[in-house]
This record gives sequence, C-alpha cells and structure tokens, in this order.
Amino acid sequence: MDDFDINKILRLRIAFQTIKDYWKITIIITILFVGITTLYSAMFPAFKDMLTEMMESGFAEGFSFLRGIEDMGSYVGFLNMELYQIFWIMILGIILGFLSGAVIAKEIEGKTIDLLMSNPVSKKQIIFEKFIGLIPMVLIVNFGTMFAVFGITIAINEELNFGNVFLTHITSIPYFLSIIAIGILVSVVINEKMKAGIIMVAIIVSMYIFESLGNMVPNYEAMGVISITHYYNPYDTLKFGEIDAVGMIVLSVIIVWSLIIAMLYFENKDITI
Amino acid sequence: MNIIETKNLTKFYGKIRGIEDLTLTVKKGEIFGFLGPNGAGKTTTIRTLLGLLKPTSGEAFILNKNIENNIVEIRANVGYIPGELALYEHLTGKQFLDYFSSLRDTNLSLLEGLLETFELPLNRKIKGYSRGMKQKMGIIQAFMDDPPLVIMDEPTSGLDPLLQQKFYEFLHSEKKKGRTMFFSSHILSEVDKICDRVAIIRDGRLITLENIDTLKKKSGKIIKLKIKENPSKFKGAKNMKIKEGWIEFVTSDNINHWIKEISKFTVLDLKIIDFSLEDIFIRYYEEEF
Repeated sequence: MDDFDINKILRLRIAFQTIKDYWKITIIITILFVGITTLYSAMFPAFKDMLTEMMESGFAEGFSFLRGIEDMGSYVGFLNMELYQIFWIMILGIILGFLSGAVIAKEIEGKTIDLLMSNPVSKKQIIFEKFIGLIPMVLIVNFGTMFAVFGITIAINEELNFGNVFLTHITSIPYFLSIIAIGILVSVVINEKMKAGIIMVAIIVSMYIFESLGNMVPNYEAMGVISITHYYNPYDTLKFGEIDAVGMIVLSVIIVWSLIIAMLYFENKDITI
Repeated sequence: MNIIETKNLTKFYGKIRGIEDLTLTVKKGEIFGFLGPNGAGKTTTIRTLLGLLKPTSGEAFILNKNIENNIVEIRANVGYIPGELALYEHLTGKQFLDYFSSLRDTNLSLLEGLLETFELPLNRKIKGYSRGMKQKMGIIQAFMDDPPLVIMDEPTSGLDPLLQQKFYEFLHSEKKKGRTMFFSSHILSEVDKICDRVAIIRDGRLITLENIDTLKKKSGKIIKLKIKENPSKFKGAKNMKIKEGWIEFVTSDNINHWIKEISKFTVLDLKIIDFSLEDIFIRYYEEEF
C-alpha cells in the first residue's frame, strides 16, 4: 500500500493545479448558468398569467413526477421547475459528471500519469486531491448562480425568500460533490476520458429517470432510492426552507464511499499505457 | 551497494507475458544498459519498478526499499524519463517546472545547470514544443532534484544527433558525480558507447547480463574471406555461411589455427573483425548462441 502522508497531502499541490486547469471551464459554466438564470427568471412576468391558467387546467397532473410542478404558477414554483429541476439538478449534474468522469481518465489516456507518479505522490493522494481540486468549481458555479437569482429577482421585483434560496444552494453542495465523487470513481475504472465522461452522463440520466419513474408509478416509489436526485429536493427548501437532513447524510456517505472505493481500486489497478 | 535489485520479478497481463523471472542488480554509480527490441519487456520492467504496474510475482528493491510498500519514498529519490513521454501540454515550460518542483518539495539544485545545457523556451506552451524540446524537458525534470538514481526509457528517441551527443556527454559527467543510471534502449551503438554493463532481454526474459567488454570478448571475432577455389571446399567453424562468395564465420579463440587453415587456399581477400554489440545482439535474437 502507498503511504498516505497527511503532511504532503495538506500541501494540496495536485489540487491547486487541478483548480488552475479547470479555471477557464469554471468561468464558462458560471457565465452559462448566470445567463440561463437571468433568461428564465426574466421571462416569468410574461408567462405568469399563462402559467396560472395552465395550472388551473390540470396540466400539472400529467407531470406529477416533477416535484413542485403544481406550484409553477408562482415565481418560486417557476424557478424551481425551469431553473432548479431541469438546469440545476439535471444539466449541471451532467456537466459536472462529464468533467469529473474525465479527471483521472485523461491523465491515463494522455499518458501524463507516468510523469505525475514519478513524483513522491501516492495514488490515494491523487484521488483525494483531484476531488478537492474540483470543489471550487462547484462552489463558484453554485454561488454565481445564486447571486444571479438574487439580482434578477430584485430587478423584476418578484417576491422570493432569499434565505431559502441560500439554503437551497448550500444544500446542493453534497448533491454535486456526490456526482463528482462518483465521477472520480468512474474515472479510475475507465481509461478513456470520453468514454468515462459519457458513462457518467448515462449514470446521471438513468438515475434521474429512475427517480422520475419512482415518483410517477404508484407502488414503485422505492425505485427512486438508487438515484442521488432522490436525496436532494430544491423545491422543499426553496418554498418552505425545509432541509432533507437524511438525504444530506446519505449523499455524504455516497461521497465518502465513492472516494474510498476509487482509492482502493486505483491502488490495485495496473496503469497500462 | 545495489541500487536496484529484482528477484524473479514477473508481470503477466492476464495470460500475456510482460516479463518473467527477471533477476538482476544495478550497482551504485554505474550506467546500466537495458537492451531489447520493441516489445521485449523493457517498459514493463521499468513501469513495474516504479509502481505503475503491480508485479504478478517476485519482488524488487530500489535503494534497499521494497517497491511493494515504500513506493512513494522511492519515487522521491528516483528520476524517470518515460518511454512515451507525455507532458502537460496546456502549461508553459515554466508552469510545468513550477508544478513539478512543488510536487518534489525539495531543492532543485541542478535545475539551473540543466537549463543551460538543454535550452528551452520556458515561456512557450509545451503544446508548441518540438519533439526534441519535449524530450529535453523530460531530461530536465528527471535530473533537476539531483536524485541518486535515474531510470530512462529510451531517452534518446526524438533527439537529433547533435543533441544525442550532448546527452551522452551529459550522462558521462553525471556518472562521474556518482549517479546511478538505468538506461533502456533498442539502439546498440548507444548502449555500447555509454553503458558499463548491459542486460539483454527477449520476450520478457533476461538472456544475458555482462560487462560490455566481457560480452564483446566472449563473443570473439568474425572472420570473412574470399578464396579463388570453390568456397564450399573450405571447412570453417560450425557457424560458417557463404554469402556472395564471402566465407563468413565466428570464432572465439584460436586465430592461429584458422590462419593456418586459410593459408591452404589462395586468399583473395580477408577480414578479421571484432564483434560489435550489434552482432552480439543479432546473434542473441536469432538464438544462435
């Protein structure tokens, strides 16, 4: 077994390099999400009446698997549906999954792993530091979007509990970190970055589908438990300020175990080039 | 003192043999040649020694530490030039060196001198480097923190002849400083030129490990002659061949005996050639020994 020298790891050199490497893409994703947020939120006043009508006509019943859809006529419900459920949970999840799925695989595929591991670093340390190195991306996109929500809400003069929005973004951190941790696990198993990224996207989409089916089909609610989206519900936090504590614990356990399994797997893996 | 020691080191990729029962030692201060054609197992050996591959069986020690449980400590004391050198192309030369010096976390006492010997445009992105420049960067990063052992996997590939010469001279000067170097190659002439001892591997197995001079002496001389008479009348050594009128055979001793034999014929031309490493190599690979 490689040694896990905490003093060396705390210097976080690989993590810092990872942050630098992902700096540009972090900015791009942040701009993208700020843009989407602005676009969708700004549309709300124009759609307001139509949405209220749609909700009254029972439109939402067919989409009962989407949490909070019945509330789409209100600003908070609209934000939940258009921004958080689709772009936040799904699209950002896919983007982060794709990127994290490639994070180790690209070093193996690009053969830079040989030189990286000629330095006094252990395989466990590489996993740990790559994970740490991707955290700032989650935080920056997360809070960038949050401030965009604040700004646009003030600009269009709608009612929104900013405290709840803040809480929603804070509680989304374990959700996104669990995606990154699973992505890193996939990344140490699959040696090609494109393949690893795509597999990760497939995993997230399938989990989303499972969760939706579980919500939609009676007696099949249990299906959703295998999906990480089951453990993070922005609507409850956004609307009522409720936090799914159990969900957050489950997500934390997923993060820790994904990283531990990734470390053990990587430790025993032959790095063939 | 042994710097590298392997005992029956074996690596199989599933059923495919990478290396098998490799037992060798590299002594302090020598340049150890590791010779074999492509696919012989040179890279597998090196990558197993560095902990990138898990040995199937056997063991190995570097600087008296078992690679199984001290690999991080070993890496701190070993420089490495990979065979398929891949650098972080999105970084500039300077950013790359900064990153690696932070990972080494030690005094880079040789960096300045290396940058003088192997000049590089440090402010340019590595993506824009030529193959030779990248190889120079590979050399610099391997030696910059003054490690007691440097393992090189075909380090001269991509270097032009001038730079190769410079590199050989550099290796000689490093040897004088007492640095141990493990040098894999499929080019015989360079191993001949710079190495003290050489191991030859084929199909993952060690065929021979000798001092280069001993190896050459053992292998004897090649006698080539042309005679007026029918060449088939000449009874040379067992390994005799006739090619385009030339009689050719190898002898390891008793030149006198052959001169006497030859004098029985009308000699048109005669050459007695020292074995080059190239010839030895070819012979090992043709399994004529």
